[in-house]
Amino acid sequence: MSTAALHADSHHDHHEHKESFISKYVFSMDHKMISKQFLITGIVMGIIGMTMSLIFRLQLAWPDEQFGFMETLLGKWAVDGKLDPNFYMGLVTIHGTIMVFYVLTAGLSGTFSNLLIPLQVGARDMASPFMNMLSYWFFLASSITLLSSVFIETGPASGGWTVYPPLSALEKAMPGSGLGMTLWLSAIALFIISSLLGGINYISTVLNMRTKGMSMNRMPLTIWAFFFTAILGLLSFPVLLGAALFLIFDRSFGTSFYLSDIYLEGVGALENIGGSPVLYQHLFWFLGHPEVYIILMPALGITSEVISTNARKPIFGYTAMVISLMGISFLSFIVWGHHMFITGMNPFLGSVFMILTLIIAVPSAVKAFNYLTTLWKGNLRFTPAMLFSIGLVSFFISGGLTGIYLGNAALDIQLHDSYFVVAHFHLVMGSAAIFGMLAGIYHWFPKMYGRMMNNTLGYFHFWITFITAYLVFFPMHFMGLAGVPRRYYQFTLLEDFNVWMDVNKLITVSAIVGGAAQLLFIYNFFYSIFKGKKATANPWQANSLEWSTPVERIHGNWPGEIPTVYRGPYEYSRPDREEDFFPQYVPDDSAPEVLHTEEHQVAPEEKSPEEVESSVFFAAIKRVFGLS
Amino acid sequence: MRIDTLRIRLNSIFKKSLAVLSFVLAPMMLLAADVIEPPKEFSIANFDWITILSVLLALLIILVIARAFDIGALTEKITGKTVVSWNNINAWVAIIFLVAGLFGVWYELKVHGPLLMLGNSASLHGDTYDSMFYWTFGFTFFVFVVTEVLLFYFMFRYRYNENRKALYYFHNNKLEIIWTIVPSIVLTFLVLRGFTTWSKITTEIPKESQEIEVFAYQFGWKARYAGEDGSLGNQNFNFISGSNPLGVAEAGQVDELVKELEGEISKLEAFKASADDSILAWKGRYDRFVATGLSRTYPEDFKTLKTKFNDGVSGAYVRTLEKDIKRKRTALNRIAEYKKDDGFFDGTANDDRVTTEIVLVKNKPYIFKFRARDVIHSAYMPDFRVQMNCVPGMPTQFAFTPTMTTTEARSIKNKPEYDYYLFCNKICGAAHYNMKIKVTVVENEAEYNTWLASQAPLVAPKVAEQTPAAETEGIETEATDNTVAMN
Repeated sequence: MSTAALHADSHHDHHEHKESFISKYVFSMDHKMISKQFLITGIVMGIIGMTMSLIFRLQLAWPDEQFGFMETLLGKWAVDGKLDPNFYMGLVTIHGTIMVFYVLTAGLSGTFSNLLIPLQVGARDMASPFMNMLSYWFFLASSITLLSSVFIETGPASGGWTVYPPLSALEKAMPGSGLGMTLWLSAIALFIISSLLGGINYISTVLNMRTKGMSMNRMPLTIWAFFFTAILGLLSFPVLLGAALFLIFDRSFGTSFYLSDIYLEGVGALENIGGSPVLYQHLFWFLGHPEVYIILMPALGITSEVISTNARKPIFGYTAMVISLMGISFLSFIVWGHHMFITGMNPFLGSVFMILTLIIAVPSAVKAFNYLTTLWKGNLRFTPAMLFSIGLVSFFISGGLTGIYLGNAALDIQLHDSYFVVAHFHLVMGSAAIFGMLAGIYHWFPKMYGRMMNNTLGYFHFWITFITAYLVFFPMHFMGLAGVPRRYYQFTLLEDFNVWMDVNKLITVSAIVGGAAQLLFIYNFFYSIFKGKKATANPWQANSLEWSTPVERIHGNWPGEIPTVYRGPYEYSRPDREEDFFPQYVPDDSAPEVLHTEEHQVAPEEKSPEEVESSVFFAAIKRVFGLS
Repeated sequence: MRIDTLRIRLNSIFKKSLAVLSFVLAPMMLLAADVIEPPKEFSIANFDWITILSVLLALLIILVIARAFDIGALTEKITGKTVVSWNNINAWVAIIFLVAGLFGVWYELKVHGPLLMLGNSASLHGDTYDSMFYWTFGFTFFVFVVTEVLLFYFMFRYRYNENRKALYYFHNNKLEIIWTIVPSIVLTFLVLRGFTTWSKITTEIPKESQEIEVFAYQFGWKARYAGEDGSLGNQNFNFISGSNPLGVAEAGQVDELVKELEGEISKLEAFKASADDSILAWKGRYDRFVATGLSRTYPEDFKTLKTKFNDGVSGAYVRTLEKDIKRKRTALNRIAEYKKDDGFFDGTANDDRVTTEIVLVKNKPYIFKFRARDVIHSAYMPDFRVQMNCVPGMPTQFAFTPTMTTTEARSIKNKPEYDYYLFCNKICGAAHYNMKIKVTVVENEAEYNTWLASQAPLVAPKVAEQTPAAETEGIETEATDNTVAMN
């Protein structure tokens, strides 16, 4: 059963060679290994980012306490066990940066695009394995650069993850704007290179390397999501690179792109004037808004796949799902101004951005309703992956709805930069995307490591995480509506906010419980890599192409020829089939390829009373709108 | 056979309740203990090994339970009987979560709802704002409840049953069109309403609005009121100095600043001329420190000395001096340009009041002109539904009319100590969390006039000697360059 034997049997195009440890595990060019490298790095970064959040949550809940262990851990940043305000800002900034870029962009998209694109479209590897390898190593270099900034004397960048100048441009404005900021900018520049190398690869692989029969409209929704994500990244990350370069120039070479009229610490701080801080915000959010979809869309893609597989039911409205993704991708480029309603931008421009922003709610609503309908009358198997996907849908709805408030320029006056915003994006972007990532890990773990993860631990992991995530983020809406500003080190100096102390404590305790639950996942993950139950080739009885590969994850993916694709990926529970799944790669001439056209719409043979009862909702909709 | 089934049923019910307990009730109890009784004795400062151990213990227990279930699954495989149905357990937990969650939402609305800044706004446009909010809340809350209930209900209702096959239901154009069109209509309504609300707030500014300059700096606020002449004087950031923190165009102050700058330039020139000597002196001290072992006794001083010495040798010291001189010369040139313009120093600034409190009159329209001198700040007055960024180099504004005096707000909120504040709401540095200025709304013009009269004008009327009233402890008073001050 050695891979060598399989290699010998195989007669694919790849040149036969013996792989050394270095070429197999370190400088690997195999997309599956690279995806694991992304995943493990992402998990490590995730643990660091989460620990940081727990530290500053402790500060927010118990501002007057002294935590002995904090001094042990942080040294001069927590003298007498009390967190330093500058370091608090640093933690907030690095937590945001790590979570947004390193975990939810690289960790999520990097892992699953790499793993699934070749496997699901039927390719031996990425279009350019070498670039793919470079992509990971730039990412690792970037991670190390960012983390190293935590250990320097002046502390890490601490102007918030958006690093608005002049705060981030002037060394004298805060300690973190010194070397820490330089390292942050270097890290982001490296990160962007990594992201672009990856993105080009994903796009060309999807467009050029699909196997026979894999037309675009037979691609799983995961691939569609990764494809659009890569396009978004390719178009928007260079703009951030430009913004970062201008900032580097302003910081180090005396230019004044973002700076004007500055007086700091007793001196007029600039030789040149005439720049605009708002310019940076425009450039930043031109990336920043697509970025939230770069984070969210892969998670939605994964969810579509997992929900359909475990509901044993075709994803409802495949075409609508693709069109929504397309619509969201397009719109995401023209809505960045909703982050800037109150920056002093022309109010008319604010109105335009408000209209465009609220349009995004329509494709998002379509997606949510389609997920619900996919669950309706399904036969739901609650694997941990399925639970996390359903959790994602729940977060997507709760967090998405508050977007309607924030996208409204008038309502944003009050809510901007309050805890309402924190609640909103942690639910719709943070928790939802993390849940998508976890769903992906549970679902494709057998493809990654050839073993199964422990389901029972997965259930505990899911429910504790799900409940605590809501306990952490739901009350924050109320704080925001009461006018509590975000990024405050403590509220003890503002008496009116003291009523929220209890809530702050509840949030912190929930966060600690939720954080501890992740230890279950870490244990489960690493234990299962070595000791998990051996997986079969297709443990979830899924349809898509990756499940036709052998359990031993060989170089080149398929030992023989790449299978041909005969139908779409979501042919579950076809009435003309005995089994409730019908893989894409199984030829069957007698079965019509497409059953789901209007003419072939198949009704269930006979409805049981419960089924009739549960379709009341849809029947009611139909009746209201006079449809048959 | 029947007894067998019953036994399995009981077994599964027992396990279900165990799961429910551990999944839902245990964490909730843990948290409830914190919420219901304000944690007076409960101090996380005792966060030590015991706490860490108990967390680990809890995790261990979960691991053991998981292992037990695995054994159950194994038995299941061997005997072919269903012992644990995780599909059922998860479905039940989903329903319990839904009920508990809806209860939580209701609880939050009931307990924290009254604390929200809704319904009792202190400004004219605030009511429009609140009504916009309620409309949005109505729609979103309805959708939230319906969709979440459906989601968890479907989870429960359609849990796995091996005898059932899912409905092969690929799409339904009519249904999809409906749920594209309906949200579009609702959103169109919200957009139109939002558009009118936003335009009204941002563009309908009464002509008679009084201008107040609100000035932000690390870390505090100042307000500038026009004096008796009713107009705010000019300002420019080049005039900012220790005694003129807002950079107001006040001729005497600016002349002083010019003198000060010239003095500094000659001082810097002198440093530059004697740079070689300084470097030599530092080298001497540096060598002495090393020779006598003082470097170990006073490591901090030694470090400073070493930096200075290195800067001197590498030329960074002279470069910094040159840069400072150049910058100060540029500032002088800019000031000279302004001095050529007679209209700029028109004396309107002389009677301006720079204050550390904002006082407004009820029902009088105001327009706040925001400025910042170092980084971006944001003026946030939640009671008035007002927020606007203060951007260095880009003046911004917000117009509003207060409608509720501080006294009224106190009685409505039933808090005798309550005050309005303007907070900073854009991350701006270490003391961001404590950057605020009190806002007081008074009943009538008379009260306001009394207050304004108590504030000293920028330039005292000729009778009195100079009183720099604007100078307060919040502002750096020395305008010297601290790179050189190290000498």
